[in-house]
Amino acid sequence: MDKTKIICRCEEISYEEIEEVVGHGAKTFDDIKRLTRCGMGPCQAKTCTNLVAMVIHEQTGTPLSEIPLPRIRMPLSPIKLETLATNSTTFSTVKSVLDELELEEGRVK
Amino acid sequence: MDGKYETIIIGGGVVGNGIAYHLSERYKEGVLVLDKKYPLSGTSGSTQAWVWVHNKTPSWYAELNYYSAELYPYLSKKIGDVEYKRTGGLSPFFQEKDKEKALYLAESYEKIGIKIKVLSKEEVLVKEQCINPKVVGATYSSIDGNVNPFRLIDRYMRSAKKNNVEYSTYNKVTDIKKQDGQYIIVSDKKNYMCKNLILAGGTWSNELGNMLGINIPIYQLRGQILVSEPLKPFLRHTVSGLRQANNGEVLMGYSMEKKGFNRSTTLDVIQETANMAVHYVPSLRKAKIVRAFSGIRAMPEDGFPILGTVPGFENLYVAATHSGVTLSPLIGTLITELILDGETSFPIDNYSISRFN
Repeated sequence: MDKTKIICRCEEISYEEIEEVVGHGAKTFDDIKRLTRCGMGPCQAKTCTNLVAMVIHEQTGTPLSEIPLPRIRMPLSPIKLETLATNSTTFSTVKSVLDELELEEGRVK
Repeated sequence: MDGKYETIIIGGGVVGNGIAYHLSERYKEGVLVLDKKYPLSGTSGSTQAWVWVHNKTPSWYAELNYYSAELYPYLSKKIGDVEYKRTGGLSPFFQEKDKEKALYLAESYEKIGIKIKVLSKEEVLVKEQCINPKVVGATYSSIDGNVNPFRLIDRYMRSAKKNNVEYSTYNKVTDIKKQDGQYIIVSDKKNYMCKNLILAGGTWSNELGNMLGINIPIYQLRGQILVSEPLKPFLRHTVSGLRQANNGEVLMGYSMEKKGFNRSTTLDVIQETANMAVHYVPSLRKAKIVRAFSGIRAMPEDGFPILGTVPGFENLYVAATHSGVTLSPLIGTLITELILDGETSFPIDNYSISRFN
């Protein structure tokens, strides 16, 4: 493959940028993602997964069947925040940093 | 002997890499970093990466964070652009009763020379126009900011490698033994021997400690984060629960769950996080979320870092803590001083592992 070829269109990451981090020991799609942002854009690796696997295969000789897939997370395609929100303003697991302050005898500990 | 090093650091997260880099500034040979996977695959790669002082209590612990945050501008000069931004930190509150708490915080920080301002509603809306006008006030600290955690660890590693630090990744440590004043490290790939051993295993510190019969009481505390599409720059500060990255994406979330090593994202917390985000910044309603992720904090039993030597074990050092991003420049500096000079320029007695006996 041409070294300047764009592998991740969302983040404009080229073959040689991926090659460079594989040279530093990155082995999986997710390693490469964190170091280059490849696959972090709006399509969330839907376009580049197989292309990146090819680069890893070409650079390391790892059989394609042994290259792990990227971790897929919610939402599977972009979704508006208002669709997720229920408009409740009471929180339990989610906190503000002030919630964490503990007072002791009317003073901050 | 093959595999012989002066110093081995187990753990290539932000804490282990911070130590590796700072150590490499002063001695140039014989340092090895071991990582069970690849750096950034754990806690350090799944964080909002605030550099945060604001609500750390008590004051002696706030001081540790403060001095570490102060090292960031110099660190980014040395290791390269890590997208460190001292945005100022803002924690808005929406109920009158929180004002009292905010004033107590400001008062106790003033005593140690850290300025926290309690802002009125009007002042909040001048500083950050996008905040919900129902806000009552906010605490504000100018020292707070954020950094790109991927760039930070990558730059630490590249700079350390330049100074001859070696890395062995995808290499899990399975046993540690003490023999003739040296440590023998048994790993998936081979056995290593070293004089100085640093345990920087983050969430896995317990397991590492057990190999030597030491109790390093760290538990796992999950956080879940939502990531938006890139938006035009609008959020100027690091807000409690929200920050905007250089590329425009907004990271949102500040949640805590004891779920062990389970890194799932769950709809209930995602929805609560969405509620928090639109409550603080109503204009985010129309923003699109592209991803949710979760990360596991390495939380010491009493909430404070575990740093320094281990009684009864010569040349053994522990660095296990949450807030590793904020603290890594100072922890790196202090552990380096401890190894090379035998003492630290900043007292770390409060963080000794001996407090758990």
